[in-house]
Amino acid sequence: MSAPFILTDTTNLVMAVFLGLFFGFFLERGGLGSPHKLTGVFYLTDFAVPKAMFTAILVAATGLCLLSDLKYLDMSRVWIIPTFFWPQLVGGALFGMGYVISGYCPGTAVAGLASGRLDALVTMIGIGCGTLFFAAIFPLVEGFYKTTDMGQITLPELMSMNHWVVLALVFVLAGLMFYAMERYEKRGSSSLPK
Amino acid sequence: MKEKKFWSPYLAGIGLGLTLLASFMIAGQGLGASRAFTVVAGAGMQSVLPAYTATLSYLSKYLELSPLRDWTVLEVGGVLLGALAGVLLSRGFQFRFDKGARLSISTRVMTAFGGGVILGFASRIARGCTSGVALTGGAQFALSGWVFVIAMFASGFLFAALFRRLWS
Repeated sequence: MSAPFILTDTTNLVMAVFLGLFFGFFLERGGLGSPHKLTGVFYLTDFAVPKAMFTAILVAATGLCLLSDLKYLDMSRVWIIPTFFWPQLVGGALFGMGYVISGYCPGTAVAGLASGRLDALVTMIGIGCGTLFFAAIFPLVEGFYKTTDMGQITLPELMSMNHWVVLALVFVLAGLMFYAMERYEKRGSSSLPK
Repeated sequence: MKEKKFWSPYLAGIGLGLTLLASFMIAGQGLGASRAFTVVAGAGMQSVLPAYTATLSYLSKYLELSPLRDWTVLEVGGVLLGALAGVLLSRGFQFRFDKGARLSISTRVMTAFGGGVILGFASRIARGCTSGVALTGGAQFALSGWVFVIAMFASGFLFAALFRRLWS
């Protein structure tokens, strides 16, 4: 039998709590509940976010390539995040602004609240309000929201490349980035007070 | 310094990646976060303003089930408990406002709220956030994930330069 495993609704909801427990634990242990560490990348003082994020992407992507090639995982039954090019480009850019101003993103705000950060709770309330504002003005933005619908497209399909080639490219890019960040931190720690 | 109490971000990243992979294997979907805010905020507004909420077409698909039957709401509940376990292990729990040294608490409340409003709005346009689009989509090599990541970091650097005072 290949994954994803067919679960009853209730079992799947119990698994959601378990997966969330690990997700929250690792976010917090990586320091990603702290708005200083979360925004540090933009001030070149702390690279925990890109290090943890691209490590996670590499680990999960390697697993997906391996498990799907070995037929342990049926990718046709995994929900691939669909692409709406302009909404995701503009939404991503707006998101970056909200991230710098608040010091959090939705998941890390929850991790921040877990350590007693009241500003994270305020950000969570703000996220709820921003969501409702979007819902309220949805008829005005609906046209843009639905534009450039490219479906569940992936980079290997788009570039007509095997997924292992794409994985190798991501490994090289992330490796170069990690190397540059480590070098910068070593140089920075001797000259700049933390 | 304080930072020593955290793990190496690479080690945390391996844990996050394995959790994400387990989510694909078990549930057939990645991890999310912002959807939970939509479901909970929508349900909250529905209980206060039921007639108005019924007119908002965008929310209807988020209000089909009770929030406690929503996969992402329960997953985010798990995030809170899992992060709490991590905090208690390192004895890091303390009620406080975390902010840049030069900000007053009232300014911090405004930046936390205003930034949050932008995050909530942006997550709806992009159909997800750092968890559901960037991390999940990135690992799937979905174009969506990589477009979002690149836009988010580029814009983050730009706005960080404009808002230096917030975190210095």
